[in-house]
Amino acid sequence: MFYRLLSVARRQRTGRGWQNWSSGRSSASAAEAHSVALPAQAQVVICGGGIMGTSVAYHLSKMGWKDIVLLEQGRLAAGSTRFCAGILSTARHLTIEQKMADYSNKLYHQLEQETGIQTEPLLSSLLRRMPDLETLEILKLVNCPETFTPDMRCIMGESPAVQGYFVLAGMNSAGLSFGGGAGRYLAEWMVHGYPSENIWELDLKRFGALQSSRTFLRHRVMEVMPLLYDLKVPRWDFQTGRQLRTSPLYDRLDAQGARWMEKHGFERPKYFVPPDKDLLALEQSKTFYKPDWFDIVESEVKCCKEAVCVIDMSSFTKFEITSTGDQALEILQYLFSNDLDVPVGHIVHTGMLNQGGGYENDCSIARLSKRSFFMISPTDQQVHCWAWLKKHMPEDSNLLLEDVTWKYTALNLIGPRAVDVLSELSYAPMTPDHFPSLFCKEMSVGYANGIRVMSMTHTGEPGFMLYIPIEYALHVYNEVMSVGQKYGIRNAGYYALRSLRIEKFFAFWGQDLNTLTTPLECGRESRVKLEKGMDFIGRDALLQQKQNGVYKRLTMFILDDHDTDLDLWPWWGEPIYRNGQYAGKTTSSAYSYTLERHVCLGFVHNFSEDTGEEQVVTADFINRGEYEIDIAGHRFQAKAKLYPVTSLFTHKRRKDDVELSDLHGK
Amino acid sequence: MPAPTQLFFPLIRNCELSRISGTACYCHHRHLCCSAPYLAQSRLRYAPHPAYATFCRPKESWWQYSQGRRYASTPQKFYLTPPQVNSILKANEYSFKVPEFDGKNVSSVLGFDSNQLPANAPIEDRRSAATCLQTRGMLLGVFDGHAGCACSQAVSERLFYYIAVSLLPHETLLEIENAVESGRALLPILQWHKHPNDYFSKEASKLYFNSLRTYWQELIDLNTGESTDIDVKEALINAFKRLDNDISLEAQVGDPNSFLNYLVLRVAFSGATACVAHVDGVDLHVANTGDSRAMLGVQEEDGSWSAVTLSNDHNAQNERELERLKLEHPKNEAKSVVKQDRLLGLLMPFRAFGDVKFKWSIDLQKRVIESGPDQLNDNEYTKFIPPNYYTPPYLTAEPEVTYHRLRPQDKFLVLATDGLWETMHRQDVVRIVGEYLTGMHHQQPIAVGGYKVTLGQMHGLLTERRAKMSSVFEDQNAATHLIRHAVGNNEFGTVDHERLSKMLSLPEELARMYRDDITIIVVQFNSHVVGAYQNQE
Repeated sequence: MFYRLLSVARRQRTGRGWQNWSSGRSSASAAEAHSVALPAQAQVVICGGGIMGTSVAYHLSKMGWKDIVLLEQGRLAAGSTRFCAGILSTARHLTIEQKMADYSNKLYHQLEQETGIQTEPLLSSLLRRMPDLETLEILKLVNCPETFTPDMRCIMGESPAVQGYFVLAGMNSAGLSFGGGAGRYLAEWMVHGYPSENIWELDLKRFGALQSSRTFLRHRVMEVMPLLYDLKVPRWDFQTGRQLRTSPLYDRLDAQGARWMEKHGFERPKYFVPPDKDLLALEQSKTFYKPDWFDIVESEVKCCKEAVCVIDMSSFTKFEITSTGDQALEILQYLFSNDLDVPVGHIVHTGMLNQGGGYENDCSIARLSKRSFFMISPTDQQVHCWAWLKKHMPEDSNLLLEDVTWKYTALNLIGPRAVDVLSELSYAPMTPDHFPSLFCKEMSVGYANGIRVMSMTHTGEPGFMLYIPIEYALHVYNEVMSVGQKYGIRNAGYYALRSLRIEKFFAFWGQDLNTLTTPLECGRESRVKLEKGMDFIGRDALLQQKQNGVYKRLTMFILDDHDTDLDLWPWWGEPIYRNGQYAGKTTSSAYSYTLERHVCLGFVHNFSEDTGEEQVVTADFINRGEYEIDIAGHRFQAKAKLYPVTSLFTHKRRKDDVELSDLHGK
Repeated sequence: MPAPTQLFFPLIRNCELSRISGTACYCHHRHLCCSAPYLAQSRLRYAPHPAYATFCRPKESWWQYSQGRRYASTPQKFYLTPPQVNSILKANEYSFKVPEFDGKNVSSVLGFDSNQLPANAPIEDRRSAATCLQTRGMLLGVFDGHAGCACSQAVSERLFYYIAVSLLPHETLLEIENAVESGRALLPILQWHKHPNDYFSKEASKLYFNSLRTYWQELIDLNTGESTDIDVKEALINAFKRLDNDISLEAQVGDPNSFLNYLVLRVAFSGATACVAHVDGVDLHVANTGDSRAMLGVQEEDGSWSAVTLSNDHNAQNERELERLKLEHPKNEAKSVVKQDRLLGLLMPFRAFGDVKFKWSIDLQKRVIESGPDQLNDNEYTKFIPPNYYTPPYLTAEPEVTYHRLRPQDKFLVLATDGLWETMHRQDVVRIVGEYLTGMHHQQPIAVGGYKVTLGQMHGLLTERRAKMSSVFEDQNAATHLIRHAVGNNEFGTVDHERLSKMLSLPEELARMYRDDITIIVVQFNSHVVGAYQNQE
């Protein structure tokens, strides 16, 4: 071991940990036995000598860092680490957790050899030989605090507020399983600036200050604790700590049957249960098969395709970047991969990439004026994106970044009739000649002025996003619903949105895209300004990738022989087989009501059959394969596609196919 | 789901049942007479029929069934508990509240409650409710089927579309027609308010659409350019007649698809009455064909309730209808056209959809039946030609339309099939609903005159009255509340749980003898909105 070990012992236990920290330190030299004088400075100071702290220290030292101080108030591994049962479970819920546990398992075996400690096998052999020992009475029952997090996942990463302050905590009783892997990823993060795996699901920045209320933590953690031992069904929603952030329309939507899910503390409608339609009780609705909301979402999707639906999407993260001169454009051009020097009123889809060309964020940016931009990102980007922009933006009083998430209610009007509803409400022509796709205009809707109307829906369907100053939200919603009646308007939720976007091959950040996937790997070269001779973060990596080819490619799969009613559903993380060989995993999936098939998105790799090494993936490689998706051990044939099914974009129907039901309001 | 055929079944069943249990029961299946002599013959000539087998238990097993239950001798054994009674009563209840978007959607209709209680299996009544999306107004209707539910089902799905189309301005019709032509999404016409059990026939949806489209194409062609205000009364009459005509034509033309072919024939050979209300602001139109009824609940200044009938029954109790029928046919038929209070001695309602047996010429009936599917050919009922059938048509679907301008004291409208009206007086219906809706009970002294009442019974009545004060029978739906009274009321006008429980536990085969299908819609009006209309003038 290369690091210096420092034990800060305290003589008196008069108070709790941190309050006594400074006195503890000052009295350290006077303390008992083996205390050592604290160095005045160090490259890394690790607080806590349990499995996490020691693991980080171990990996940092393996990676060549020498100047490490590890502080521990008592003895090494004397806290919860000591009392853990020594169980290393490698069957985990999340892929990244799985990887950490696997690595820990390997590491501990290696450490056994390195250190020669073999307690656990010894005990097992002991019990095998003398089974009667199992019945030995326990003399002392140990009860010690454990750490839990609001979403059952650990917390890892750099603080968005203090640079260089890294956190690794909240192990939810799985510290031993994760210790090795988590320590390694954090050490990588500290040494290289990023970990070697996508750890977004564990990233500290998925939380904001809003999840730190004591009452929230108290309630949620009490729910989390038993859930740790529960079967993890897809689409599980926590029951406690809810209704923290809501849209001004929450009550109105709730009264109309909305069922809610929460992201980043924000309540978002999943779907709307029609009056007199019963869903299963909460417990019964836990299933890996066809869920009870299937028909409800179908009618919402159908309404999006044939009439018009409203989805409240207020949870989106919304930033405004403005400057006195060209500063805003300049910095954005450097931070974002697509060209933002577009005419005022245009919307640009662009990635916010890291040095490796991977997506730190995927967003839409509207140019409101020469010097001001409106940026829309996924809900859970609020902390991460803010921190990233702050870190990279120069200190300049003429350049202003503002989080306006709370200022706007966002309504998504999806469907062919959206244009009719909006033109009736704004007395302005909204047809594509007047309002082309990916366009943004401030206009009046009903009595309300200054509504930002954008011709995009995040689904590939026709329609508009309305960004409404919150005080007008109820008015605009009422107007839209009232005028929309004759066009068959209805409310819809995120499950309908998900089905629509996945069948159109729209990848979403946080599900399909992450810090390790690049635009070239998901067919988005057209959204990158590689040819414009402008520098931006990630450019070099992309240029290199363009020359060498990509090693994985986002592909859409349409399941062929899958029985929606009887077979287990795909959700995410299902293995993809190409010509019988493992080729990657799915990232998201949904039932497409239009194709009447399940659609999965996922990355296809090209692992060498001999060495397992990753090789270049070409379009030809994708197209020549025969694919299967493995759902819980059963493989289903799948058609691979690199481009969305074109027929989904045309809404014509043969007049012979029209039915009486086409005249129903939806 | 296809509507199962019942062309023949009710006749047989009623005859057998009346023979089996002749005492104490009176035949409720009134729409089609079962005592005419030809029926005895037709029953004898009856050949086993697959559709029959599915719906009717063989006689022997029915006996075992009813004796096994020992219903008649020890009824108290089979009482349903109050929660069981409630679950039966509430199975088909539906409520709709008109959504208001903060003064944006002001409607004179607050909402409606509806419910059905079957006596037939399956139920032959249907109900519909929808909001017109391209014009203002709301449509509500009850439909009482006979000789099966095929016709009432079809009318419940289609009639409102015919009405809505009849009300549409020329430009909207053109827009919809153009949208069909160019494959664009159609403007929705109706927003349905359906109970999950109120289904639409998926199979016939295209066929129905094509007939409707032909109708509006004709309306477009007929447009003379001079745009006039559309008259609701005329629109209602046109819609009723047109739909009945289409039902008749579809059956004559047939369909290459054998399922559809059989369906259109079943629709045409069965029948249905219809009572439909169109509410738009203070303008209330009621179009009625047959013997369902629309009743307005009016609250007098002293708070009491009175009933205003907005429809006339088309049956033998209506002098004007008798007169009409006599005028429409030669003098020598004056005695045969209505016999034993029935049209041609057979049919209770004098106006109805479908029932082509009373509309087509004998030639046409024979031709269609002969070329029709075997099921139809084997069916004695359809083959049978009514006696004294000289100058068809004897039956029409043309409605009688009444207009009423809503006043603030008009609080609600009850639309119901005859199943309700034959068990309850209209005044009681309006009082019960009125008291239910206002939560007010005008306690009337318990009248015991004419009955021998024990002290125990009186105690029971008083206890019940107290219980009623506290919970109004825990109904959340005015129609359910009304059904509870219709089925459970005792001689004193209060709900007798024992009686209710007995009535609801009747086996399928017996239920029809004690009561008819009951379908009720209670539409509640918004007096403030109605009052505001009045003040505007």
